[in-house]
Amino acid sequence: MHYDIALAWESLPTLLQGTLTTFIVLLPVLVLGLLISIPVALARLERGPGSLLAAAYIIFFRGVPSIVLLYLIYSGLPQFSVIRNTALWTLFSNAYFCAWVGLTLTHSGYMGEIVRGGLAAVPPGTIEAAQALGLGRMQILFKLRLPMAARYALRAYQNELLIMVKSTSAVSAITLVDLTAAANTVFDYTYDPFTPLVTAAGIYWVIINAMRYAFNVADSRLNRHLALK
Amino acid sequence: MPLLGFVEQLGLGAMVTIEVAVLSYLLALLVGTLFALATVRRRPIVNAIWQVYASIFTGVPSLLVAFLFYYAGSGMLASLFSVVGMRVNIEVNPFAAAVVALGLVYGAYIADIVRSAIHNVPPGQFEAANVLLIPRPTAWFFVILPQVLRLALPALSNMWIVVLKDTALISLIGLKEIMTYARLASGVTKEPFIYFILAAAFFLLMTGLTYLVTQRIEGWTGRGLRRAAPAREETARAL
Repeated sequence: MHYDIALAWESLPTLLQGTLTTFIVLLPVLVLGLLISIPVALARLERGPGSLLAAAYIIFFRGVPSIVLLYLIYSGLPQFSVIRNTALWTLFSNAYFCAWVGLTLTHSGYMGEIVRGGLAAVPPGTIEAAQALGLGRMQILFKLRLPMAARYALRAYQNELLIMVKSTSAVSAITLVDLTAAANTVFDYTYDPFTPLVTAAGIYWVIINAMRYAFNVADSRLNRHLALK
Repeated sequence: MPLLGFVEQLGLGAMVTIEVAVLSYLLALLVGTLFALATVRRRPIVNAIWQVYASIFTGVPSLLVAFLFYYAGSGMLASLFSVVGMRVNIEVNPFAAAVVALGLVYGAYIADIVRSAIHNVPPGQFEAANVLLIPRPTAWFFVILPQVLRLALPALSNMWIVVLKDTALISLIGLKEIMTYARLASGVTKEPFIYFILAAAFFLLMTGLTYLVTQRIEGWTGRGLRRAAPAREETARAL
């Protein structure tokens, strides 16, 4: 078993194409997941039926593996004629769309808890001060609570983001050829499993560590005031 | 409606899922604890090995690691043994590949959890064990590690859920577990929705069960701990 550099170089275009698919799946999920998680977290912090609903949302989508959600959406939903015989079919027959929906639900579940933790860590005195100064609810939310929560939740977000990058490998289950699946295609053609899989691992490693580096930079910028002098 | 025969198969698959998850988790605990104990005090060589290990296994999806072990595992083992002059031919089945892959990947995460828990055990505990002349292995097993378990428990129970859910993903290497049978049943009956919902219910049930078991263990590990008296409502408000 040895690493075949010539084959690695030859299969690089296929693997980079897979990397592109990984990012096409990942980026909308990150944006949508974050957008959905904010109302979920806010509902979770309030009292009333909304809080229970948000808790159920979080428990369900955190408890079910993303691959189960992907299968449910990609193969399960088309069983119903409501999906199959209406305009929705153009959406749900698209594997990319199903991957976006499935992974967004998982991601927003986890992000809901992270955003809630960040919001809960905002000192109540800050909010009371803002209220005393006559700021409106939305002003307090967008100018104070969310920016402060973002700083508190940065490290938890880093963990979740890196987990999401790695969980995109699940989309190969619904026919998308992401980086992991691309490495397997090269294996199918060449009967050499070691080289393409190790090369793919290297690409993942670079992506993950670039993100870690970006978070370290962001952390030292945003949380400068917390740094030990 | 789901057919009973397929539900039975799903149940058998669920048992395999639990088996793989439990074995991988135990392996991860072993790997993680050993790495944590080895890196509590910074020793340059051990630390360098740990850094490389952690960087690789936390930087790559577990599915990819499992594919690598399954497809290239016997080749890698053969070249490993040929270094010491042995010729072996070991077939790697999906079960072994899944357990080893998940164990090694999550061992890297668990090492971090356990190490920070060790750092959070009050230093007086180490000193007291020293002063009382308790032999070091005894001190670790009966004084330090039980307290580590208490401190690390929330993170460790989270990790168990992550490992369990990742087992579903690993089914893609050809492991015959709950997802495989759910796919099989949906293919035959053309009613995929119900079988995948059953699979989802299984994972939710396991999450709930984990919560209950964690509570039990928490009660056991925290039995020697003095709890602060619950603050009375009025005083809390007055403050």
